[in-house]
Amino acid sequence: MTLQVTGLSATRSGRPILHPTNVKIEPGERVGLVGSSGSGKSTLGHALIDALRTQGRHVAHVPQSPDEALDPLRSMAFHWREAESARDLPADTARRRDLFAALRIEGGDLRKRPWGWSRGMQQRFVIAMALIGTPDLLVMDEPTSALDPVVAAGTMDLLDTYLATRQTALLLITHDLGLAAKRVQRLLVMEGGRLVEDAATMQVLSAPQTPAARALCAHRNWLELPC
Amino acid sequence: MIRVVRGLLLRAAVVLTGTAVATFALLWHAPGDPALAIAIARYDAVVPAEVIDQIRAEAGLDAGFWPAFKAWIMPLLTGDFGQSSVTGRPVWPEVTTALSYTAPLALMGLLVGILISVPLAVLAAQRPGGWLDRCAVALASIGAAIPAYWLGLLLVLLFAVQLGWLPAMGARTPAHSILPALTLGLGVAASLTRILRSGLLEAREQPFLPAFRRRGVSHRAIERDHVAPHAAIPVVTIFGLELAFLLEGAVMVEVIFARPGLGSFLINAIEARDFPKVQAVVILTALLFVTVNLLIDLIYRALDPRIGAQDA
Amino acid sequence: MLTVEHVSVERGKTLVLEDISLSLAPNRTLTVVGESGAGKSTLIAAILGLAPCTSGQILWAGAPVRRCGPALVMQEPRSAFNPVLSLRRSVMEPLTARRARLDDNRLKTLCDGLEIPPDLLERRPAQVSIGQAQRVGILRALIGAPPLVLFDEPLSALDAVTQKHTARLIADLQRQEGFAALIVTHDLGYAAAFADDIAVLRAGRIEEQTASRAFIDAPQTDYGRILRDAAFSLGALERVA
Repeated sequence: MTLQVTGLSATRSGRPILHPTNVKIEPGERVGLVGSSGSGKSTLGHALIDALRTQGRHVAHVPQSPDEALDPLRSMAFHWREAESARDLPADTARRRDLFAALRIEGGDLRKRPWGWSRGMQQRFVIAMALIGTPDLLVMDEPTSALDPVVAAGTMDLLDTYLATRQTALLLITHDLGLAAKRVQRLLVMEGGRLVEDAATMQVLSAPQTPAARALCAHRNWLELPC
Repeated sequence: MIRVVRGLLLRAAVVLTGTAVATFALLWHAPGDPALAIAIARYDAVVPAEVIDQIRAEAGLDAGFWPAFKAWIMPLLTGDFGQSSVTGRPVWPEVTTALSYTAPLALMGLLVGILISVPLAVLAAQRPGGWLDRCAVALASIGAAIPAYWLGLLLVLLFAVQLGWLPAMGARTPAHSILPALTLGLGVAASLTRILRSGLLEAREQPFLPAFRRRGVSHRAIERDHVAPHAAIPVVTIFGLELAFLLEGAVMVEVIFARPGLGSFLINAIEARDFPKVQAVVILTALLFVTVNLLIDLIYRALDPRIGAQDA
Repeated sequence: MLTVEHVSVERGKTLVLEDISLSLAPNRTLTVVGESGAGKSTLIAAILGLAPCTSGQILWAGAPVRRCGPALVMQEPRSAFNPVLSLRRSVMEPLTARRARLDDNRLKTLCDGLEIPPDLLERRPAQVSIGQAQRVGILRALIGAPPLVLFDEPLSALDAVTQKHTARLIADLQRQEGFAALIVTHDLGYAAAFADDIAVLRAGRIEEQTASRAFIDAPQTDYGRILRDAAFSLGALERVA
C-alpha cells in the first residue's frame, strides 16, 4: 500500500519552517531527501514520520549516530527486548538471528552495554532493531556521517541487499547528493522549507530544474567541481 | 572488580590514617595543659604539681609527639578505646549508649527526608517551570537556608507550646522523637529535593530519548527504564555529603531538644578535655564516613558501569 | 619543511604511532586518511608537541615545530570558540598571546578571501552558522601567518556544498600565503581533489604514501584499495569514465 501524506507543514516560534508539502512513497521504493543544512529536510522527515504514524503505518527511524539511539546504561539485550515489546511482538530468537545474519552483526555480546560494542556494530544493531516487524518505511538520517567510510559502505550494502526482497521503503535523509545518487531511485530536493524538486535520480542528475538541485549536482563530485 | 575494591579499600585506609594523625595533632596542640585539665576534672580542686606530672606520665603526654602518637594509636588498632581520663570508666560502653540514641534519630531524619523529597521532586519535575515546580524549588531553597536550631524552635513553638500535641524536651517516649526527626528530616528533604529534581530534568534531556519515543516505547517505560537510572546517579553521589549533614544536624538537634546522645556526649567530653571520649567520637565518625563512601562508590559503579570500564 | 622522522608514540603500554616518517614542504598539501582509532589525532598532537614522542623526532626547518608557531583548525567549529567572547576577540587570541599587533590590511585580505563579512566578527559563536564558524576558525589559524597549518577533519561538520566551497577557499588562501597544510580527514574525495599526497594510516602505521591522483587510480596496498572502494561506494568519489 502506497505511503501518502498531504499538506505536511511545521512552524517554529510562529515562522513556517516547512511549507505545505505532499509526499508519496511506493512500497519498497528507495527515496532520497536531500538539501543543504537548514533546508528543512530533517523537519520534513520528522513530520512525515509523525503523520504516517497517526495513519497507523509502521515507520522506523534510524538516527545519525548510535549515541542518539541507545541508552548507555542498558544492555543490548534490553534494547532488543524493549523494541520487540514496543511493537507488541513476543520475543523471537529466530527473528533476531535472521536480522543479525542479514546485517552481519557478529561477535557482539548482547549482555554488554552499547559502549562495549564497536560503533559500526552499534549502528548495525540500531538498524536491525528498526527492521523488527518489517516496517512500511525505514527513515535513515545521515546514516554514514558518524561512521568510518569502510564501515558505512559495508552497512549500506548489507541494508540494500536486505531491502531488495522486501516491501519496506527507504527514505534516506542526507546533505550528500553523492551518497543519495548511489543508493536511491528517486530524489526529493529541499530548499528553504519547501520541496522544490521531486524526480527520478537520473533525471535530477542529468537535468536539475531548480537552483538548489543545480547547486547540489554541481558539488556532487569532488573531482569535477565548478570553477 | 577485585582490583577496584582493593583500590577503594586502600583509599579508605589512607583517609583513616590521615584522620588519626590529624586528630592526635589537634589534641596535642590544643591550647591549655591537658594534664592540668584532667586533674581539675578528676579532683575538682587545685592539685599539687606532682599529681599533674603523674597524670602526664600515665597518659604518655611527656614523651614527645610521635611516641605519644604511637602509645595512643596502638590500643585503638585493637579496638580498645581506653578509659575516660576524667571518670576512669571505659569509653566504649558510653559511646554505644550515646549512639543508641543518635543512630535511630539520624535514620528517622533520613526517612522523613526521603519520604518528603522523592514525591515532591517527581511531582515538580513533571512540569518544569509550572506552579508546583516553583513551589517545590522555593520550599527547598527556604528549607536549605533555615538553620536546624531555628526550625527546631519554630516546630517546638507550634506543636508543643501552641497546640500542645507533642512533647518538646527529652527522649522518654517515641513521641519525643517526632519533633527532632521532623527538624532533621526537613533539612535533608530540602537538599534532596533539589538534587533529585535537577537529576530528573537532566536525565530527560538525554540525546537518545527521542529515538526511544519514536521506536514506540511507552512514556512509562521510558521514565522507569531510561530516565530514573540516569537520575539516580547524582542522587547517590550526593548521599555521602548528606550523611555529613545528618550527623552534624543530629548533634545540633539533640542539643536543642535536650536529648541524650552523641551530641551531649561530645560537648561534655570537649568541655572536660576528656581526650579518649573525643577521639572515640572522631574516629567513629571517620570510620562511618569511609564505610558509607566506600559503599556509595560501589553502588555508583553498579549504576554506571562506564566508570569501572574507564578504570580498567 | 616539516620532517617527521621515525616517530613512535606510546600511550600507556600501547603503541599508538609506530615508526612514522613524513615530509611536507611549504605550499604543499598532505592528507592523512584512515579510520577512527588509526592514530590520526595523535599524529596531530605529536606534531604540535602535545604528545611526547617515544622515539624519533619532528622538526620544522631543522628546529622544533613549536618554534615556527604552527596553527590548528579543529573539527567542531563552534565549540572551538569561547562562547561568551565575540569572534573578533577569539580571532585575536593567537596575536595577543604573542604580543603581536594586528595588521588591519591582513585581517581584511583574509576576511575577503574567506568570504567573511566585516560585521560577522562582532557576533558570538552561537550566532553564526557552522560554515561561517569554520571559516572564522580558519581565519584565526591564519591570522598570525603560520608556515604550517594542521587541519583536523576541517569539513566533516559541514554539508556537502559548503564542504566543497570551504575546501576551495582553503586552497586559494594556501596559494596566496604559501603555508604547508597537513589535513587529517576520512574523506578520500577531499583528499583526492585538494591534496598533493595521501598518506594512509592504519593502526598507527603508514600503510602507503602516494600522490593523490595516482592513489585514486591505483592504490598500492590492499587496505588502500578497501578505503578507495568504500569512497566509491558512498559516492564520495565518482569513477570518471
